Amino acid sequence: MADAASGSQDRSVQVKLVLLGEAAVGKSSVVLRFVSNEFQANKEPTIGAAFLTQKCRLEDRVLRYEIWDTAGQERFHSLAPMYYRNAQAAVVVYDITKASSLEKAKTWVKELQRQANPNIVIALAGNKIDLVQPSSTSSSSDSVDAEDEADDATATPGENGETGENLRQVPRDEAEAYAQEAGLLFFETSAKTGEGIVEIFTEIAKKIPIEQILASSRGGTRPGAAGARTAGQEGGVNLEQNAAKDKEGCNC
Amino acid sequence: MSKTPRTPRSRTPSRVGTPIRITGGTSGSPSRLIPPVPRLHSAPSVSSLRVHSAGYNSTIQTPISTSPPNSSIHGDSSSSSAVNVNQTEGILIQEPEVEVEATSGEDGTAGAHIENTALDDVARRQLRDHLRRTLTDTDASVAESGVRPSRHRAKSIEGDEVHIHADSYPPRQYFVLTDAGKPVFVSRQEVEESEAFTSMMGLMQALISVFLDDGDKIRCINAGKNRISFLLRPPLYYACVSAWGEPESVTRFHLEYLHLQIISVVSAEQLRRMFERRGNFDLRRLLSGAERFMHSLLARLEFDLAMSTSSLSCLRIDPNLRKAVADVLVPTSKIKDVLYMILLAQGRVITLVRPKKHSIHPSDIHILVNTIHAPSIVNSSASASWLPICLPKFNSSAFVNAYVTFMRHGQASVDDTAPMSPTVSASVQGESEETVVAQDGSVETEGSEPSSTSERPPTPHHAPEFGLVCVSGQADFEAVRSWCTSVTEKLEREGLLKAMTDAMHKGKTTYTVSDLSIPGLRHFVYKSRPHVQVTMPEYDEPYNDNNEKRRLITLYQILHDNIHAKSGQESTLKLQYIRTEHESVMGWITQPFELYLALSPLIPKSAAINAANAIARWVSKEEKRLFLRDAPVF
Repeated sequence: MADAASGSQDRSVQVKLVLLGEAAVGKSSVVLRFVSNEFQANKEPTIGAAFLTQKCRLEDRVLRYEIWDTAGQERFHSLAPMYYRNAQAAVVVYDITKASSLEKAKTWVKELQRQANPNIVIALAGNKIDLVQPSSTSSSSDSVDAEDEADDATATPGENGETGENLRQVPRDEAEAYAQEAGLLFFETSAKTGEGIVEIFTEIAKKIPIEQILASSRGGTRPGAAGARTAGQEGGVNLEQNAAKDKEGCNC
Repeated sequence: MSKTPRTPRSRTPSRVGTPIRITGGTSGSPSRLIPPVPRLHSAPSVSSLRVHSAGYNSTIQTPISTSPPNSSIHGDSSSSSAVNVNQTEGILIQEPEVEVEATSGEDGTAGAHIENTALDDVARRQLRDHLRRTLTDTDASVAESGVRPSRHRAKSIEGDEVHIHADSYPPRQYFVLTDAGKPVFVSRQEVEESEAFTSMMGLMQALISVFLDDGDKIRCINAGKNRISFLLRPPLYYACVSAWGEPESVTRFHLEYLHLQIISVVSAEQLRRMFERRGNFDLRRLLSGAERFMHSLLARLEFDLAMSTSSLSCLRIDPNLRKAVADVLVPTSKIKDVLYMILLAQGRVITLVRPKKHSIHPSDIHILVNTIHAPSIVNSSASASWLPICLPKFNSSAFVNAYVTFMRHGQASVDDTAPMSPTVSASVQGESEETVVAQDGSVETEGSEPSSTSERPPTPHHAPEFGLVCVSGQADFEAVRSWCTSVTEKLEREGLLKAMTDAMHKGKTTYTVSDLSIPGLRHFVYKSRPHVQVTMPEYDEPYNDNNEKRRLITLYQILHDNIHAKSGQESTLKLQYIRTEHESVMGWITQPFELYLALSPLIPKSAAINAANAIARWVSKEEKRLFLRDAPVF
């Protein structure tokens, strides 16, 4: 059994990724959505850090994300360097309904840019957009975009118009402008509905200097056997499919 | 009769009649326990104090009497004096039975917080006198507190009575506050939201301060059925309100554990430094997310007899299997700084390996086990968690790293790829039988697991999952991870996980009293003193009901308390027998073991003795399977 598992790793590229951000912004939920395509309401706070892996296929490559989902609580802050030290990618998450969480995100970005691997790919993710959307019944992404554009225009007249955009504390424009300025990938996401989650990891995958990683780790990884049988078909997310909303589509 | 069981016990009446017993902390070093003067500022005013104390209780009546300084401290010395256990290089460290009066923690930091803005002596004396008057004034104290069940308004009951009411176990309430009166933790949310909360905290802080002023430490207040016990671990104060009739030492022991749990999160050193810097530091912020640990710890403390006997409860398993597993866990020379490798199942230790020079404290294991069973770790879809933890008995000022991974037979070998498959958690659900999830998570629901992943109780004792914990001093996660991965693969490859899973499914890892076929025996707890481990059967009729179980455990605790003279009894006992209308219980301590047993109340006392002997014989026959006797060291 073990052999089968290890055999599938042969051609995959390992990408170390760390999630950072204030407590309760939804870091673990973002990862859970990506790794298991699940969502749990009222998730318990992460303790220390959790380690997860997920395979992705990007074109003809298989990426194996090794994800460090860190705890957001203040007392764990000092441990963060241990996790981002060798990371090739970081997802810094904030909560669009909480302005202070963006400020925290900015300090994380600063810290990463100062102390992490200089080539690190950083993505900024504004989570919980489901809270400012009218209703989950319309999953068409067009209406979602329209919603975001509307920002502080008249509140959505939908069923929950009252709680809709009013909850938003971080305008999309503002965060996006900051992301551009700081050279980050930017997404607004909902771990609850799954919106935008796979996109984060896809875009990161595209930006990661894969060849470089391969070159540097070539010594370490075992020389691949017959490459025809990549695990991507069975074990990974197919990133090309991210448009498909099919629940089963992107897991295993 | 129902309230006063016939108890042929040898307690001395001298301890009995004082509703408020304050015993001296003066044997410590009073000079370092100078009252934290400035904090009196933040306490409620004198007049408001009176009001709240009135609300506090209805039955405090006699003048406060301070018993002689030495009358009820240092139970630990007496427990160890009873029997001298020879322990050389054991796996577990024999902990002093009573840890609550260890003075070091208490005194160490008290001095740091004394500032100069002294309230003048007169005012202080006035406050103190007033407080005493208020506490003494029965008329003023009829008002009911909003948070306490009013049915407990009763005539003052002599302290020595054993209140055993099968139907009245209102949840105990626990409070943690800083010595500046700031709340840190409250066990019941609704209390925190109630209006009286702030003043309640203020009152506690004031009460404690008043006694500190006299160079004394308040231990407990007996008020009707309620007992409020206190534990002072500056900069933190702990309090527990309980109406269960358990000995004072029990709730104080719970408070001590609560303290250990807090230390495990922030470390004693960090705690000290923070409060040194800022006396009114708000610890809640730093502990956020860790409240869960404390709730689950309290739930454990309610029923876990291994914790209350300061020992460990290991999984009953074939000794050869245990040995084989332990051999796999021994770290290779490549991996450095490993402190302990522990394999758990059903919430119990299967085996643990350790460096030659470090034995392990049972309380460290309990804290560790409680921590890693937090829902965010045990229910996580992550393949592993990595958390910093301070093991208070190992080193209270430093953190170690714990690598934690949960696995199942049939899944462990694919450690690397498992987490990406969402079917992992689906299969967990599929296998589970329908079970009633007990409210406290501690009910023995055999061979099944809670059906809902999101609503799991804090301690899923019976999920047939293995937990592998590697405690290491170094921060090189990758090295530890690859080592642990190789361990889990090896456990699977050698069929050890399968063998253990089979044993668990077949119910071989537990037993019931009927396996012993001793007439009239309902339950027992056997502590092997050299091994520092306990063994006990599953709770059977009638103790599968939670309140019945609480009654039994309370009786055990009374025996334990008396045998070890933990609450200031004049001397320890060798044997005690109590008969109530529900059952008769007996506690017996000898050199190699401590035994507590419960029998039908109809059984004569002589039969109890025979039963105890029969248990001892059975255990010594089964010893190899029941206890973790030797594990490899490295």
